Amino acid sequence: MAYKPQFGPGTTAVAENRRKFMNPGYKLQKIRDVTDEDVVLLMGHRAPGSAYPTAHPPLAEAGEPKCPIRKIVVPLDGAKAGDRVRYIQFTDSMWFAPCHPYLRSYLESWRYRGVDPGTLSGRQIVECRERDLEKVAKELVETELLDAARTGIRGATVHGHSLRLDENGMMFDMLQRRIFDVKSKTVKYVKNQIGEPLDKSIDLGKPMDDKWLKAHTTIYNMNGGTAFRDDKEYVEWVQRVHSLRTKYGFMPME
Amino acid sequence: MTEQVAYPQIRIVPARLLSPSTIERLLNGICDLGKVRRLVLNGPRLPAEVPYGPAKGIPNPHEGRKTIKVKGEDVPLQVQVGVIICELPNDQVIPEIKEICDRVFTEFSYQIQKGRFMKSIPTTTDYARYGPEMDETLLGMTDVKGKGCPIIIQGGK
Repeated sequence: MAYKPQFGPGTTAVAENRRKFMNPGYKLQKIRDVTDEDVVLLMGHRAPGSAYPTAHPPLAEAGEPKCPIRKIVVPLDGAKAGDRVRYIQFTDSMWFAPCHPYLRSYLESWRYRGVDPGTLSGRQIVECRERDLEKVAKELVETELLDAARTGIRGATVHGHSLRLDENGMMFDMLQRRIFDVKSKTVKYVKNQIGEPLDKSIDLGKPMDDKWLKAHTTIYNMNGGTAFRDDKEYVEWVQRVHSLRTKYGFMPME
Repeated sequence: MTEQVAYPQIRIVPARLLSPSTIERLLNGICDLGKVRRLVLNGPRLPAEVPYGPAKGIPNPHEGRKTIKVKGEDVPLQVQVGVIICELPNDQVIPEIKEICDRVFTEFSYQIQKGRFMKSIPTTTDYARYGPEMDETLLGMTDVKGKGCPIIIQGGK
């Protein structure tokens, strides 16, 4: 019987959203249009339209050794061309952001090849060859994984995920990379992910309302959302994993 | 340790981080009472320059770091205000402050907590900066290691 991944336990909508996002068979809903140029500007690694700087010669010219693994693993376009490895990093507010750092790493591992995701306390970074990263980043920014107000694209100075929101419902950002335009009610990025000012603002559209966020969030939060303890199945599995790994560490033969 | 008179202190905690215009309205309301001894604004810092990362050192324009006017005095905000701590002469002022909060915080909720929230004992750093004869009303009013000073609201006198 073919292995059918279950992605994770849980009976609540939060657990269902987690499974949905991790499942590569589920097509993420696109909720905004961002141009390729805007994605490049947001990340700030190179000027839009410029050539990709390289870290090594193209593989075709590199004279690779004969290796069966190299025959099996098809390199990414960026790896073939010798691109640099670059990153995009996100911060997700605990106030019902659609995604969160651990899930980001899980879903990127399920959905994309050649990425190196890393979860830290309040942020999540994904590294990849530059031209492939731009495709990955475009999907991460354009789809339901990102809310304009509760998710931040932040290369550095990420503090804010656990703070209260501001009066406009925006997550705190010490560098104010994005502003809430009161007239148009949209969120506009005015700085790139590391805090350098952009020549033009990038409009990410209107923030989603609380109802949408609570229906799409993957974060358990007893303050107005789904409490973790209410998901009995999830708690049971977390406890089971915790118990088994503790026992295994103590006495592996049992 | 010096003996201190324990004036009542309250902490106003709004459900949202405040914009400069809201905090200006709130502070003007509170200062209009003329009954608050000391007041501290707390919140996450908004530095003038990017403090670290690849863009370290470049200017950091931020809408939250504005200079507001409180009873005619310029108050340059250095934080996005999330908590307002007030020291009061007596408990009777609390309902009056609550009334002001009700008037200002119309879009979101807030809490007023009573307790001891300001620094009460000088640290070694306080001693190094202010010396042994320090004015205790300055205690905890500003970052001891920073260059800033507390602002005295004259109330138009």
